[in-house]
Amino acid sequence: MAPPTVTPSSPVAWLGAQLRGWAASDGERLIFVARSAFAAFLALWIAFRLGLDSPGTAMTTTFILALPSSGMVLEKAFYRLLGTVVGCSAALVLIALFPQQAPVLLVGLALWVGLCTAGAAMHRNQQSYSFVLAGYTACMIAVPALDNPAGVFAAAVTRATEVGLGVIVAAIVHDVLFPRAHGRQVQRTVQTRYEGFLAFCRQVLEQRMSPEQTELTHLRYAADIAALESGRAAAFFETGHARSHTRQLHAFNGAFMTALTTFYTLHRLLHRADAASPVPALIAPLHALLADALADPHGLKLAGLPAALAQPAADARAALNTLAAAPDQTRAAIIDGETAIELAERFAGHLAAFAAVYHGLTQQKRMQVSEPQAYSPKTPPGIVLASGLRAALALLAAATLWYWMAWGQLALSLVMTTVFCALASSSPRPTAMVKQVLTGFLIATPLTFATEFLLVIRASGFPMLVLAALPLFALALWLMTDPKRAGIGIGMAMFASQFVAPVNLMHYDAAGVANGMLAQTAGVVLAYAIFSVLLPEHTMGNREHVRAALWREALNACRQRLAGDGRTLRHRFDNRVRDLLSQLNAAAGPTPPVATRAVVREGLTLLELGHAVIELRALLAASHDGAVRDALRNVLRRLAAYLRVPVAGTNADAVAALLDAGVVIRAGLADPACDPARADRLHTVLADLHAIYTSLLDQAAPTTEPSGVPHAA
Amino acid sequence: MPRELSVLGILIPTILPVFFASLLLQGALDWVLSHAGVYRRLWHPALARLCLLVCIFGGMTAWLYR
Repeated sequence: MAPPTVTPSSPVAWLGAQLRGWAASDGERLIFVARSAFAAFLALWIAFRLGLDSPGTAMTTTFILALPSSGMVLEKAFYRLLGTVVGCSAALVLIALFPQQAPVLLVGLALWVGLCTAGAAMHRNQQSYSFVLAGYTACMIAVPALDNPAGVFAAAVTRATEVGLGVIVAAIVHDVLFPRAHGRQVQRTVQTRYEGFLAFCRQVLEQRMSPEQTELTHLRYAADIAALESGRAAAFFETGHARSHTRQLHAFNGAFMTALTTFYTLHRLLHRADAASPVPALIAPLHALLADALADPHGLKLAGLPAALAQPAADARAALNTLAAAPDQTRAAIIDGETAIELAERFAGHLAAFAAVYHGLTQQKRMQVSEPQAYSPKTPPGIVLASGLRAALALLAAATLWYWMAWGQLALSLVMTTVFCALASSSPRPTAMVKQVLTGFLIATPLTFATEFLLVIRASGFPMLVLAALPLFALALWLMTDPKRAGIGIGMAMFASQFVAPVNLMHYDAAGVANGMLAQTAGVVLAYAIFSVLLPEHTMGNREHVRAALWREALNACRQRLAGDGRTLRHRFDNRVRDLLSQLNAAAGPTPPVATRAVVREGLTLLELGHAVIELRALLAASHDGAVRDALRNVLRRLAAYLRVPVAGTNADAVAALLDAGVVIRAGLADPACDPARADRLHTVLADLHAIYTSLLDQAAPTTEPSGVPHAA
Repeated sequence: MPRELSVLGILIPTILPVFFASLLLQGALDWVLSHAGVYRRLWHPALARLCLLVCIFGGMTAWLYR
């Protein structure tokens, strides 16, 4: 575009600005519509030329793969191909095992679909889609082959060929024709995240954020971490996306999570401190340094932050020691101070590491990232089981209807019910999603009928066919670009492409089409009914399930095997807790209710507790036998008991064990035989115990009295 | 080369394994090129990648049906 050389008030500049605005919003959408329609008709044309049996499948595939950026299309294409091949093989095996025994075959199919759907719930994004597809492809092939087992191989080959054709066409068109690269988007996300996090830290340090706002920000960050992970997975498939970049993005997410956790702990500690506490005053110089480094727009000071913080931290410790000698200070305040200084130092280190990874990423520097660990998602097992069970039961219900009513068209309903029960099970609001698709089906029914029997029937030759069918598909694709109506658009495109896309030997059978339309719509209605009746609360991100899973994760932090310095365990714990929080965020929508915020608070407290426990265990594994070791073991045992059964009694037990351990460690510190290295470790243990203690008190707040408890830990 | 291969009694066109082989070859070449930073200098990397695949596949098919 020509640079505006005239004054802004001139009509040319105004027009230019308007055009630019249009190109950025509606222009993008129009390009998407044109690109996707081109892919669809190209696939249809090739399918005609090759004389494939049902060209509609190739066309439907291109609509399913119509996603905004080329990386996303390539990723979904890859997983669709994978899922289709696996599903076809499964169908062949099932038919070979139970030929001409419909009831047994249907039970086998239900089992397979249930397994695949449960597997889908355990994964995220397109991997999850691959599982779902493997399940319902088997159903799509095996069900029509029931009467004619000999034709199943041909059916499987046809399906695989047509999906393959659609996948190749969609991938090439979306990658080559005015592509929108996902890599650049990821780069932008990384930059916004970095700047957002620094601004967030600054605001919290300046106490300009209420606790509710902070919690919501943490919730949003959990969703961001999951989103960046899925963006990274999509960009992986694009050209010019170096593999070292993947490692760096993993490291970026990891460093971000570590910094966020430390910051949360530090912030909580300061938030708990009351007016009489000397901690805020002690920490103030450290804060000033942190805020100063955060305010630097280029972030150059962040790298030197740990070194810059060393002297003020030593000063603060000395001040604390003089304070400790004064009689009017409580033990609690002294330990708070020690922990706060330690945390501030740790935060500075983590922030510096985060900034280093960020600069490595933005300047495209090759940097050695020490064994970055992949993101590991976690779904509450109850939800996994429920989605598998629901999909299997849906198939069985539809199959019973079909088998005993002996209405041939119901086979189509059966397939549709299975497809949508499986697809919607990974959505936080499955009924809303199925409803949107159903709306799309209902809108598409008269339109498809009109297109087919008023326009396509008069078309002679492929160009005429394109002209006749284009308006309907363009409308569906336009709806797909609107996030609020995407489901309607997808439903319309899927429905229309199955009926409008003609077979090679054209025949117009109005009654047959009407029957098919009715059966498909009935299938989706059945899926909707099943989602609203069968275990309606067991959906992704359900508050109670997430809450229970969070507690279990904390318990795992206490019990799972610890290898080395506990990095793997810590990483997995952090990932899973954040993944659960991001599911919660997805289910809660833009304005989470109070109950959701309570779960977030609980989750963040458990996150703090779990990290302290893992660090404690790592120290414990390295320590020798003795009174300290026994006391810490006892703490862990009591803590695990509390996490298993979180009631007031076990909480009190755990707190008592913590207080005992505190006494033992203080005795160890006072021992003249204690060398500096050991003293250092014991100080860290004390800080961890303190963190556990405060989070236990937080959780027990309604049942026990926090004030007046002798603070010995 | 036969135009169709018989795998366990199922006839598959020879082009299919050739296509997979060219995908593998293209993947290897892709890795080398993206490590050498060639793609960053191109106007339309995706198009270049597609053309590469077409050349490889076309070349292999031409050799097959010569």
